[in-house]
Amino acid sequence: MKKSEQRDLFPGALEMMILRTLKRQPLHGYALVQHIKRTSNDLLQIEEGSLYPALQRLLKDDLVKAEWGISSTNRRVRIYKLTAAGSKHLEREVSSFERMLDGITRVLAPGEL
Amino acid sequence: MKITNWLKPLSSRRRLYNDLSNEIQAHLEEKIEELVASGMSRKEAAAAARREFGNLTLTEEDSRAVWRWPGVEDMIEDIRYGLRVLRKSPGFTAVAVLTLALGIGANTAIFSVVNALLFRPLPFRDPARLVVVWHTPPQKSFPGVSKFVVSPANYLDWRNQNHVFEQMSAVAFRNFNLTGMGQPESVEGRGVSADFFSTLGVQPVLGRGFLEEEDQPGRGKVAVISHEFWQTHFAGSKDVLGKQIKLDDKSYEVVGVAPAKFDFPFQAKLWVPMAWTEKDRAVRGNHGYIVIARLKPETDMKKAQSEMDTISARLAQQYPADDAGWGAVVLRLNQQMFHEVGPALFVLFGAVGFVLLIACTNVANLTLAKALGRRKEIAVRTALGAGRGRILSLVLTETILISVAGGAMALLLAHFVIQAIAEFIGPQLPFTVQIGLDGWVLGFTLAISILTGLIAGLAPSWHLTKTNLNESLKQGLGKTDADSSGGRARSVFVAAEVALSLVLLVGAGLMIRTLYLLRNADSGMDARNVLTVTLGISKEKYATVTQQNGFFNHVLEQVRALPGVEFATAVDNLPLQGGSIQPVAVEGQPVVAMADQPEVPVRLITPGYLRVMRIPLKQGRDFTEADNANASPVILVSESFAKRFWPNENPIGKHVKLTFLPGDASEVVGVVGDVRLNGLSVTEPVQAVYHAMAQNPQTTFMRLALRTGLPPTSLISAVTEAIHRVDADEPVVGVRTMEAVVDLSIAQNRLNMILLSAFAGLALLLASIGIYGMQSYAVRQRTREVGIRVAMGAQPAEVFRLIIAQGLRLATTGIVIGLAASFGLTRLMASQLYGLSATDPWTFIGVSLVLLMVALAACFIPARRATRIDPVVALRYE
Repeated sequence: MKKSEQRDLFPGALEMMILRTLKRQPLHGYALVQHIKRTSNDLLQIEEGSLYPALQRLLKDDLVKAEWGISSTNRRVRIYKLTAAGSKHLEREVSSFERMLDGITRVLAPGEL
Repeated sequence: MKITNWLKPLSSRRRLYNDLSNEIQAHLEEKIEELVASGMSRKEAAAAARREFGNLTLTEEDSRAVWRWPGVEDMIEDIRYGLRVLRKSPGFTAVAVLTLALGIGANTAIFSVVNALLFRPLPFRDPARLVVVWHTPPQKSFPGVSKFVVSPANYLDWRNQNHVFEQMSAVAFRNFNLTGMGQPESVEGRGVSADFFSTLGVQPVLGRGFLEEEDQPGRGKVAVISHEFWQTHFAGSKDVLGKQIKLDDKSYEVVGVAPAKFDFPFQAKLWVPMAWTEKDRAVRGNHGYIVIARLKPETDMKKAQSEMDTISARLAQQYPADDAGWGAVVLRLNQQMFHEVGPALFVLFGAVGFVLLIACTNVANLTLAKALGRRKEIAVRTALGAGRGRILSLVLTETILISVAGGAMALLLAHFVIQAIAEFIGPQLPFTVQIGLDGWVLGFTLAISILTGLIAGLAPSWHLTKTNLNESLKQGLGKTDADSSGGRARSVFVAAEVALSLVLLVGAGLMIRTLYLLRNADSGMDARNVLTVTLGISKEKYATVTQQNGFFNHVLEQVRALPGVEFATAVDNLPLQGGSIQPVAVEGQPVVAMADQPEVPVRLITPGYLRVMRIPLKQGRDFTEADNANASPVILVSESFAKRFWPNENPIGKHVKLTFLPGDASEVVGVVGDVRLNGLSVTEPVQAVYHAMAQNPQTTFMRLALRTGLPPTSLISAVTEAIHRVDADEPVVGVRTMEAVVDLSIAQNRLNMILLSAFAGLALLLASIGIYGMQSYAVRQRTREVGIRVAMGAQPAEVFRLIIAQGLRLATTGIVIGLAASFGLTRLMASQLYGLSATDPWTFIGVSLVLLMVALAACFIPARRATRIDPVVALRYE
């Protein structure tokens, strides 16, 4: 069941989810993956590794910043935080995503064909 | 993106990558720990963690890729790889670099000349606004002459009436005898109006320029000396100002020293004020001054030209006798030099362009041959995901590396070629034109190097990207039919090379024939065994005509008495070197104003001139000593002069009035053969008038010409001594054999011929290397085929023919195309040719044969190699 439910994400979706998650609280990579998996009820089965290139892109664009810190499991990890620019970027992305979603929903709505 | 983001990757890339690795490692460990906690064995947990993480290496690579500059880093990688490949095949690299060095070097050398003449700004203030204003003479009297020097009165009117020039200054060539400083010598002086230096915007490095009051009649005994003159005559001493120098026996006070390298116009050594008298200022019909001017900032060339047109029209109306038909043309100062040599340079530039194209083709061919050997590598790269662009850039990087290395070497070569050119034509150029390497030349070389690399690499790389992946991977040695398309491309290249070199060879052939025809052209006189001597003569000591003629006659007597001298005579301007052109009124022609009179060359000679130059007397008699100032004036005319004005009458006894001379019309006493007075290549018959020195009422600068049975140069010291016996203060300015004068008049043609032949030779060499390379490669490729043929019983002679025929097919194709191209292109150099058409059939045929022979020779060694192929070895070869 798991496999068939898996979908490719549209470009930018992963970044958007990362930003959204980091908006709530700073997290390190592993925790970030776990969080996304959990909150999506395991529907979005992302490959854990694909997180890292996305994180590097966000770092490069100054949308997040990273610091070495200690995790709850007492491990030395890199903790990612949303920057002000990241926060703004997230707002823009979410609103445009919502418009898109709205559009898709209308088209897919049952009835008048 | 912020600039810090661009810099960050450079400074801390390594730390970034380490962080990333550590982070991913921590991620995996955390995952494993969690899985172990949920009850998995450590081994299972590790495997599961890896599985869920995905491709570890790819993730890390992708993450790193975020930080890279893909373009730049790929390029650096390509360059590194290219250098490695080139190092591995030193033979290929050496040949390719050398080939391009020759091609680029030739271009750099010619460009440096163009650059010096055209692009390098003149060392004057704001040189773009400096112009030269010439007269345009009436075409009726001066057919074909487009620029003419200016008369004083017209210059003064131009200066006063125009609204487009800030300043307008006149210059005249005035040679002085310098005495009182060691040996008497003649120095190139210039008479200038007071604002000469300020018009050019040149500030003397010491002292000052001229004051307005120094340019007044009777004043003007001041001089500005050139930097060079200051060094040679005053050892660069600071207290030169105020010193007196003796020019033509008059004292001039040195008031300034011009900046180094300033010798305008044309190799000037010193300048003095013109100091025209009222009488000088009124001269309108006699022209002799160069006029330079500085445009006002708000004007342009068009406005200046139309203003000068207006003024000329007004003057022509006001002074119809002198100015009817005389216009004016405004030309930029920096284009003056280029006008002289422009057409020849244009041809040479075309030639070196062709050489470079051939070099390009050779390198493309070599690269293609090498690339075909690398097909497997390319196929593996493509299979691993390298795109077409990456393959292209791989090959292009390699050829650009070669061409840039070639360019660097070309600079070295060009340095020597430029020195040779500068040495050859330098003496004919003013100081202000310095041929050499500068920023522009370096930039040009870099630009064409890169362009060359691109062109040379384009065809091979394009070919490679079309390679069939499967075939290449299967076939280790790359001996599939795919080769035939590579072979076709290479054949096209070689044929193109042959065609290009044929065009060059035809050009060179035409130039060589031109020079040969010029050397053997009948100039109307006999230059062998004639020595000519140019004297400086003091205008102070010999102020009157009687004094001057007395001096010359004295010298002639002394020279004639020398052993070995058959006869000596004097003339104002030697044949081939141009000279005075004057209006004449001819008996039997309608009487018209001076401006409408025909203008003909007038030469002043002493009796015996015809004998010395061996100019035939066609009719009547030569001058004798009896034709002196007391006798009635007589002249000789040339055959074509007589034919023009008295086509059906006996010219002897007719009269011609030389308008510039006072007194009666002169009677024609003799008709002489036409002589090429204006240069060997000027073939139109010269309608000349010869006038006796003894009857000339004006002082004139004369040259000696003497005929001898000995080698002329062996007389130089004896002649010099004879002159100094008459007056030890008169310098001998120049001594030349008449044959040297002939050579000088075709020096430009010779230089063009030498350069064009050198470039054509280079082209021929490169093309034959191309053919040789092509055929060697073909033999290697066809080893198996030849082996089979030999095994089936083919004789060596047949094999030999097979290879030769293939080469000849290429050469003939190239020659046919080249002939067609030459037919169209050589007419562009028609102005450089003499005595033959631009499509001279003998040149075309001869050059084709030469090229065919060279092609044959180039095929010979590979063909011989093919005959020695051992079928057993060849068939095992696969």
